Amino acid sequence: MATQRVPPDVFRFAVGAQAESYSAILRAFADAAQRWEGSLGIDDVRDRVRASGWLDALGDGDLAERLKKLAEWGLLDVVQHHAEDYRTAAEYERRNLHYALTKAGAAAWSGLRHAMASFDETGALPTAVLDAIADRLAEIAALLAEPGSADRRLCAAVHELEGHLESLRTGTAHFHAELRRLQRSDDPGEFDEVKAATVAHLQEFTTDLDQRRPAISAALAEVEAHGVADLHRRALRGADLPPTADERDWLERRAASWGTLRDWFRPADGSPPRAELLRAAARGIVGELLRELERITEARSGSSSAAADFRELARWFTTADRDEDLHRLWSAAFGLGPARHAHLAHEDPELVAPATPWTRAPRVRVSALLRSGGRVERFGSTGKVRDVAQLAALRAARARQERAELDAAWQRLATGGEVRLSSFTGLEPGVLDRLLDLLGRALASRADDAGVRRARTGDGRVEIELSDPADGRTAELRTERGTLCGPDFAVHVRLVADGAVEAGG
Amino acid sequence: MSNLANQLVIAERADLARGIRLLLGSPLIRAATDPDGFDLVRRRADTLASWFDHHCGWALVVEPRQGYARLAKVRSDPDASRPARRDRGSRAPFDRRRYALFCVAAAELLGGPATTVGLLADRVAQATAADPVLPGFDPALRAERMAFVDVLRALEGFGALEPVDGSTEDYTDSAGAKVLYRVDATLLVRLLAAPNGPSRLPDGDRLAGMLAEPRYGGAGATDVQRALRLRHSVLRKLFDDPVVYWADLTAEQREWATSRTGRENMRKAAEQGGFAVEERAEGVLLVDPESLATDGRFPDDGDNAKVAALHLLDSLGASRAGLTADQLREDAESVLDRSPGSARTYRYSDGPARLVADAVAVLVDFGLARRDGERIVALPAAARYTIVSGSPDSAGGNPS
Repeated sequence: MATQRVPPDVFRFAVGAQAESYSAILRAFADAAQRWEGSLGIDDVRDRVRASGWLDALGDGDLAERLKKLAEWGLLDVVQHHAEDYRTAAEYERRNLHYALTKAGAAAWSGLRHAMASFDETGALPTAVLDAIADRLAEIAALLAEPGSADRRLCAAVHELEGHLESLRTGTAHFHAELRRLQRSDDPGEFDEVKAATVAHLQEFTTDLDQRRPAISAALAEVEAHGVADLHRRALRGADLPPTADERDWLERRAASWGTLRDWFRPADGSPPRAELLRAAARGIVGELLRELERITEARSGSSSAAADFRELARWFTTADRDEDLHRLWSAAFGLGPARHAHLAHEDPELVAPATPWTRAPRVRVSALLRSGGRVERFGSTGKVRDVAQLAALRAARARQERAELDAAWQRLATGGEVRLSSFTGLEPGVLDRLLDLLGRALASRADDAGVRRARTGDGRVEIELSDPADGRTAELRTERGTLCGPDFAVHVRLVADGAVEAGG
Repeated sequence: MSNLANQLVIAERADLARGIRLLLGSPLIRAATDPDGFDLVRRRADTLASWFDHHCGWALVVEPRQGYARLAKVRSDPDASRPARRDRGSRAPFDRRRYALFCVAAAELLGGPATTVGLLADRVAQATAADPVLPGFDPALRAERMAFVDVLRALEGFGALEPVDGSTEDYTDSAGAKVLYRVDATLLVRLLAAPNGPSRLPDGDRLAGMLAEPRYGGAGATDVQRALRLRHSVLRKLFDDPVVYWADLTAEQREWATSRTGRENMRKAAEQGGFAVEERAEGVLLVDPESLATDGRFPDDGDNAKVAALHLLDSLGASRAGLTADQLREDAESVLDRSPGSARTYRYSDGPARLVADAVAVLVDFGLARRDGERIVALPAAARYTIVSGSPDSAGGNPS
């Protein structure tokens, strides 16, 4: 919708020193209009303004002045009231002149109310709106499919749809503004309270969005199959516009609105729908909020006065007596110092009794070269020691190989999805052992409500899900070492890394 | 199957031992600078955290997303041998000025998520000018800028400050250098490890006040609290210090450490950490054959002072009452004579005296000697490395 030029005086009442009294007066007229009271005299105005809680003394002169001003701005019409006889000019002025809200006045008042409501509104992404959009679209599609349906109903549905779309748009905008404010807010208390609700709300909304989007998208496609232009023409007939209305303008607005709806859920040019972007943004915001909360909790847990602590420490450092005290203070306050330990050990420490003094205990082996030449050998040492090193190397190599075999076995077993136990054929003995171990762990665990048993290996790297399809089939795994028989379980083996699940295989 | 289970247990045990020593060696491990170490600590975070909590009463915080692990080491008797160091070739310890600037800068950095070197310097200048105790910071002086750069580089090293654009080093030459930083305020706050914030302490003994831990119950401690305090206080020393001498412990600690419970505790904890325990009549020490949990090695050929220190031990070990620095000069000179090429820094007139001083510092740091007024006295564990003719040695390879 193109931005229209607003008449210059329409909102003058809402600014400046007298804004409050002007607003109170306009409000009195708006209330009256709602009750079909055509016009108000100055006394009526005064009573109503008082009743609405505006307690400032407003003299007759002032009130008349304000009313005159409002009439000047085109917000009030002056209506002459000729029914009575007047004796004085003052009385004439008082009782003859009545005022009524003009169209501009009504618009100005509703504009003000709208603006104030927006200020007060805390943003929300109403899931109900998504449902409503889906429902209305489905209703329109159904009406279009039925040739005899009433145009009026179509028109009403189109209007409703636009209303919900508008809610979604403003809701989103408000919500973003609210989140920005929340992020800037340095009142941790407020943040803390709002945060949990916000995160839950966002998560619920994105889930709902994921569920509703296909429905909305499908309904959109269905309506479009019937023809949007046709729909809007029928709606126009149903709208029964007064003869003064501009039909082309009406149709253009409907088309623009439909375009927005498509942008949200099913863009014509294949670009990502706005709903998708909103979802991604919401996900991001959830993460951000959680991080923010973490930081706040951190700041609160003990060091809301961290800056003060740092400053106090700076003073302590400045006034410490000796250099040693400086380093000691550093060590005490920051605890960042590394540990310090010997690295030369006895080959067999168990041989020395704990009660032996150091002077009588055997020495550790210090490099001869270090003593004579000030350097440590970078090559192997005597034969006896090399034996140990070789043995250790051999053992390490064996352990490495076992680890590698283990890794290979896990890779072999990862199913990448649910498969039947009977599909594990031709396993090497080592791999079969691992499978048996996994099955054993799974069977040892308790089944959940869905009858699925879950287990992990001790290091948490491999996860198995086991369920019995209860179709009575049996699995028979033939291996070199024998045959394994049992129920043909549905098996899902996953390699777990970093808490995320990798599809192995 | 048992084979499999064994492998898993072995892998976990190896990870735990390595993680413990990595964290002891560097209480702040960052993914940016040590991805493998961080990954290991992250994977075993829970096991490691409960190990440190149980044995030492130290809190381990692992931030998988922020990419760091922080072990908040608390020492009941902090020592001066592990100062903050300048991130330069010299690795010189921080001086008074740098320590103070470090703290002021940290306080000012808490103000926002980003800043530039110039803005930060201005804020530090303002903060010091407004403080009655702190000497003012003058960015116009090169020496001041140099100290400031050392401080910022230390903060960068901890990951609390990240230069997004430009290099901190440029500030040394010009106060107009443009460097943009991102500040990690959470990490900054975590740098403070003391149980009590300095700003909330009454005047008095600063260290004691900062380190008092209410969990041990103070004067009216229960038996449980007392046992906890004994275990933590002894194991903290054991895992952080090169040697724990019974003589340096309180009677209560000594009794616990030499009791059956204490021994078993120490042995088990050390074994889980991948350490060998060496207990003798005078005390106990841990050996880390892989040198993961240490900031230095001794004996080693890392520098002339360490080489000289090994030689000094022989003279010191022979003298029960200890020797003065002058008496040790000859040994230092003989070291210099024997390795003419490798000790250029000690070739000046006072070279041998400085070499003695540095070598003694090495020995003191490794718990092998102590200064007793003018004299330097060898401590019992020094005997591990000395040559004593006719005494047994473990490898049979003790050269004379």
